[in-house]
Amino acid sequence: MVKIFCWLTFASLCAAAPAKLDFTRDIRPILSDKCFTCHGPDEKTRMAGLRLDTKDGAFEDRKNGAAVVPGSVAKSKLLTRISHENKNLRMPPASAGEPLSERQISLIKQWVEAGAPWAMHWAYEPPKRPTIPEVRAKAQVRNPIDSLVLARLEKENLTFSPEADRVTLLRRLTFDLTGLPPTPKEIAAFIADKHPGAYERQVDRLLQSQHYGEKMAMQWLDLARYADTHGYHIDSHRDMWPWRDWVIRALNDNKPFDQFTVEQLAGDLMPGANTETRIATAFNRNHMINFEGGAIPDEYQTEYVADRVETTSVVWMGMTTGCAKCHDHKYDPIRQKDYYQMAAFFNTIPEKGLDGRKGNAEPMMLLPGHEKQLLDELGKAIPAKEKLLPEKEMTAMQTQWETTGLAKFAGPSRDGLIAHYEFDDSLADVAGGYRHGRATSGEVSYADGIVGRSATFGGQQISVELASTSDIDLAKPFSMAFWVKPSGDKPMTFLKQMDEAGRGWSIQWGESEAIPGLKRVANVRLVFAGGNGKQLELVSRTRIAQGQWTHILVSNSARGPQGVQVYFNGAAEAFDVSGEASATGSSAPIRIQGGIGGLFGQLDDLRLYARASGPELAQQLSQQEPVRAMLFNAATKRNRDQAFKLRDYFLTREAPEEQRKLYAELKQLKEQRDRLELEAPSVMVMEEMTKPRDTFILGRGDYQNKGEKVFANTPAMLQPIESSLPKNRYGLAKWLVQPDHPLTARVAVNRYWQNYFGVGLVKTVEDFGSQGDAPSNQDLLDFLATEFVRTGWDVKAMQRLIVTSSTYRQSSKVTAEMHERDPENRLLARGPRYRLPAELVHDNALFISGLINLKVGGKSVYPYQPSGIWEELAFGGEYSAQKYKQSHGADLYRRAMYTFWKRTAPPASMSTFDAPDREKCVARRAVTNTPLQALVLWNDPTYLEAARVFAVRMLKAGGVDTASRVRYGFELATGRKPQAKELSVLADLVSEQVAIYKKDEASAGALLKVGESPVDLSLNKSELAGWTTLATTILNLDEVITKE
Amino acid sequence: MALDDLIEYGKRIAVTRRRLFGLGSTGIGTAALASLFERDGLAASSDRNPKTGGMTGLPHFPAKAKRVIFLHQSGAPSQIDLFDYKPQMKKFNGLELPDSIRNGQRITGMTSGQTSFPVASTIFKFAQHGKSGAWMSELLPHTAKIVDDITIIKSMHTDAINHDPAITFIQTGSQQPGRPSIGAWVSYGLGSENQNLPGFVVLVSQSNTPANDQPLFSRLWSSGFLPSNYQGVKFRSSGDPVLFLSDPPGMAKTTRRHIIDSVQKLNQMRLEAYGDPEIETRISQYEMAYRMQTSVPELMDVSKEPESTFQLYGEDARKPGTYAANCLLARKLAERNVRFIQIYHRGWDQHGNLPRDIALQCKGTDQASAALITDLKQRGLLDDTLVIWGGEFGRTVYSQGKLTETNYGRDHHPRNFTIWMAGAGVKKGFSLGETDDYSYNITADPAHVFDLQATLLHLLGVDHKKLTYKFQGRYFRLTDVHGELIQKVLV
Repeated sequence: MVKIFCWLTFASLCAAAPAKLDFTRDIRPILSDKCFTCHGPDEKTRMAGLRLDTKDGAFEDRKNGAAVVPGSVAKSKLLTRISHENKNLRMPPASAGEPLSERQISLIKQWVEAGAPWAMHWAYEPPKRPTIPEVRAKAQVRNPIDSLVLARLEKENLTFSPEADRVTLLRRLTFDLTGLPPTPKEIAAFIADKHPGAYERQVDRLLQSQHYGEKMAMQWLDLARYADTHGYHIDSHRDMWPWRDWVIRALNDNKPFDQFTVEQLAGDLMPGANTETRIATAFNRNHMINFEGGAIPDEYQTEYVADRVETTSVVWMGMTTGCAKCHDHKYDPIRQKDYYQMAAFFNTIPEKGLDGRKGNAEPMMLLPGHEKQLLDELGKAIPAKEKLLPEKEMTAMQTQWETTGLAKFAGPSRDGLIAHYEFDDSLADVAGGYRHGRATSGEVSYADGIVGRSATFGGQQISVELASTSDIDLAKPFSMAFWVKPSGDKPMTFLKQMDEAGRGWSIQWGESEAIPGLKRVANVRLVFAGGNGKQLELVSRTRIAQGQWTHILVSNSARGPQGVQVYFNGAAEAFDVSGEASATGSSAPIRIQGGIGGLFGQLDDLRLYARASGPELAQQLSQQEPVRAMLFNAATKRNRDQAFKLRDYFLTREAPEEQRKLYAELKQLKEQRDRLELEAPSVMVMEEMTKPRDTFILGRGDYQNKGEKVFANTPAMLQPIESSLPKNRYGLAKWLVQPDHPLTARVAVNRYWQNYFGVGLVKTVEDFGSQGDAPSNQDLLDFLATEFVRTGWDVKAMQRLIVTSSTYRQSSKVTAEMHERDPENRLLARGPRYRLPAELVHDNALFISGLINLKVGGKSVYPYQPSGIWEELAFGGEYSAQKYKQSHGADLYRRAMYTFWKRTAPPASMSTFDAPDREKCVARRAVTNTPLQALVLWNDPTYLEAARVFAVRMLKAGGVDTASRVRYGFELATGRKPQAKELSVLADLVSEQVAIYKKDEASAGALLKVGESPVDLSLNKSELAGWTTLATTILNLDEVITKE
Repeated sequence: MALDDLIEYGKRIAVTRRRLFGLGSTGIGTAALASLFERDGLAASSDRNPKTGGMTGLPHFPAKAKRVIFLHQSGAPSQIDLFDYKPQMKKFNGLELPDSIRNGQRITGMTSGQTSFPVASTIFKFAQHGKSGAWMSELLPHTAKIVDDITIIKSMHTDAINHDPAITFIQTGSQQPGRPSIGAWVSYGLGSENQNLPGFVVLVSQSNTPANDQPLFSRLWSSGFLPSNYQGVKFRSSGDPVLFLSDPPGMAKTTRRHIIDSVQKLNQMRLEAYGDPEIETRISQYEMAYRMQTSVPELMDVSKEPESTFQLYGEDARKPGTYAANCLLARKLAERNVRFIQIYHRGWDQHGNLPRDIALQCKGTDQASAALITDLKQRGLLDDTLVIWGGEFGRTVYSQGKLTETNYGRDHHPRNFTIWMAGAGVKKGFSLGETDDYSYNITADPAHVFDLQATLLHLLGVDHKKLTYKFQGRYFRLTDVHGELIQKVLV
């Protein structure tokens, strides 16, 4: 019995028994589910040449007779086989899964008896505007929606529930159209408006709100898999928020849905394309992007295209094309070839398979604005300046200088030199007199450095022993110089000398911080220890960068801390000095030893002197030595980097004045350009390659397995693309919004319906194919679809039509009997009652408290989040979006849709309330009800702070006595006045809690510490703490987080 | 039975189901947390078991394992240096990997530019252990002691060659995101046996080496297209073990109780007015959350463990967030009948400096992995707990980067890798699968990732072909259209 139940579909379950069999609703789903795998559209797996997904196939006269012979159960082979007594002959075979239930067999039997009426799958025929039926409850009809719903209800002897009261109605409407609750003032105005059309005036007011676009955008962001990070592997950040803001604008401007479609799919190709329409194309760049080291570019580029095909199909056509990636679709008439013809529309983007390391991936566009304008200007100014320094002439000048200028480059003085490591493929000390260095643990490798070769360290627990000298002592004059290029991001030690008594010194790289452009920077720390617990510490104010060579020279003139002078790249640096130490000399060897985190980076040209030095030596070592080393190399042997540096040196210092001046100007322009490119906001967009990529059918969807070459085209089973349209994304977009397209309008209005009623008219909003659910009321769906097209795809008009219907305005109260009869409210004999979506749960609490910041659009923000959530999963390193940096101030209180969305660690409180991770297109969210949701509402600082601020609001604006304050708060949160019983529960709680906190002020103080907004000091702490517990109680009510 | 009667019957069942979930604020918590699928309507039309919240009809056959502990070694440990002993490989050390072995197989972009692929035989010593005589590297002295309790599979293979797709594949059955994780499938199918804890718990520990770790992704324990209540709940070692579990400073336990009582009273009134069973569910979930505020800290507290526990797992088990501490927690979760316990330990991606880093990793994990088996065994829990240890792929025999006498690195290798499993329904002291002299190709008993997943479900009493979920018109399952039981490892 239970099993039989399992196979009942909605249509037959929640409605009463169908008046008569309907092929589309009752028969086709059974055939699809049970037979199409082997007898469906997929030719390769079709058994016995029998096809049951087309009328021709099912009725075809075959050797043993036709599968279906209308009117004759006995002659229809289909029935013989599905009810065969011999298990080996019964269809479907045991290996193919569950057999047909008795009920299903009985339905097929009835259908054959009734003459086997056949129809094409309903969703592939264009919608026809239904006749609007006459209904008994005429007075309840406000628009055709109501007639179509009532016609269905009256068949069941049901009618509408009474209209919801005005408070409930306005709260429902305001949530649905703006995602926010109404204010008490708005509710009062609505109640006071006794004139006809009062409700419609509220609808019009809300449709004009700038928050309408935000609310409508929320679902679109799920569909578009919008996020702020790339999603794969390291999952660093991207900037797609300009597109998110475009969506909000487009919805607020009521851009017709056809235009909304064309701009997002082909805003770069359409006539009249402009910056705004190109931003819109970011829709199909929202998919995940990878740059995992070692990954294969083709594999991922293929995935990006597949994602676009599948997303576009679900969003506009409710079509699940994914199956056809590997083989012809098993259920719907979509061939593998159709899939790759669709892929061809999206395969000609000049994108790379692996990209996104530094933020947005190619192709992208800079957003209009100050930066863009400057960059455009620089784009002209730089080549113009470069022309004044022609390559040929410069080379000639430089060669001239090289042949005569070498003499100027005497080597640096060897006065007082006690050790010198060039790291030219060895640890030789070329100063003479001291032993060579040696690695006591780990190994040293070498690479091109800044002065010849350099020593390279890749994170090992390396230890290299260099010279032993006691000269590096604060009490003696000394100098120490070297080049360093750090590559890690954790703190590390470059050099140290420390004896067992703890006497010695070290030079370290501190805690680093990421700055725009992928570099991390950190301070340099110098520590001198006297071995007596005393130490002198110097921390540089300037931070040196990862991935760049920096020359460090430390000179000591033995005059205490003042005698220590440090130079970076030849320039004297300011240091913060703390502590003191003397006599830090040690006889231990100097070591290269990274410390706990190992050493990541390169060292070059280390020199130790037993004398103080100054700017001259610092300049000479940092500016001239690298050049001198390069000049020893013949021009042909220099690598690009060296050649560039030499040219730079020449044009900066040695060239004639005119060229020097021009070059300085050019350099400045380039620096400005580099900086602007990092700062200027951009967005990833669609573009066409100048030489488009070919598209092939891929065997089993494998990027390596290329088959037949295909060309862009729409699926063969739907009406063809008009011949006047180009076969590119623009043509595809125009085809989707052709008025007779059977799917686009239906799919769109069905999703709107889902927004209001929780369940779409077609419950499977993402699948209108033969495996999807049949519409609960196809006439209604088709009416809405044709109306949508008729009004010129007017999105606001469609929302208005739905929310002004009597159907929408019903009360959501339900009797036990009615709930049993129609648990999902598919018949629509009552209004919708649903827990708010994740974003709205959040926004509502902030709105009630008054904390909310209603700014629309802009960069994403970082509200409170428990520490470590990103870090414990992230790769780290120099990449962005690895460490969570919480926002402060007003950004903490933005609407939830602006929260920075990291795909591999989505905002925890939102996931708990069913927000998707945005890795893939999502057309409907589950609505779960879990204990973790309670924990969020209890203890997430966002909600606790909202409670604290809400408490202040009740105390200050709610009157003077407890009852009036409770009433005020309750009304803010629910829109209505509390009943006496409700009031007494809440008033008792707050009185009790205030009394408790009065006895325990310390606890009161502790409770109020939550959140960064200031605490109102004019209020009594215990009073406020007690009211905070009441506020959190109210924010936890089921009613408060529910649209009723 | 007439059609109309059937329909009526169906309606009654649907209502009964809702009632089971809705009624009473205590006693149904299990169902609630493991699998509270209410009107999301995304769930298949099958019924749910009121006690566990699992699907009725499951398990499909008597289960050997009641629960799973999956010790995922993220980054992919080298089979060559730990398990897959190749005494003859020393002879090839430093020589080019023959083309006949590599056989044109695709390699990652990290080594595809290498001009030379020198064989790097392991520098670690191997010895035979236990009655079964399993070969084991000197890096795993503790695992060596449990070889007679486990099955070692040396012939695992996978489709992916990079971390993101490979780890996503082994945990969700697809290289691309979007599918439910194994734990989510198990929760969806079998529900939970515990009233006070989630049915699917995730624990993460960080690497023991100074190198950067491969990242992890929440999709590895997500519910994919299943409703989000089936996703894994991460128990964290710092801050709240479950997010937002602790009440704020200054809020007494009695205050929390009074707040809940007030909320419940008002919700009850609303229920009377609106009749929406969702309100009843919320009432019971609030009680469950309250119970979790006690049950979770109790679980996380290891201070009452006897000294012997720390001798067994190692001193690290006292430090929250270490692999050892997580193994100990896994035992405690198993004792409490939590269905799926997923551990991730980061840091096995040794492209360079393998000898140093793998030694550090083993030092940080070997004792605790073995201790978990010993501990489960001595408590009688190993009989109905399945434990799996392994990474997402193997590592290449050829050196990535310079090969020296003491140092080498290894790139990703999907063609074979080693895992071990133990416990319910799995052979003891057994080894499956063979590879060639280079540990590069499987020569006997290949076991694909899908096979492992099918076997895991099988041990839980689930037919991997029958645990399906209809999404976008298709019945999806963990093993896609693949997966064969690894019969030889089953008792």
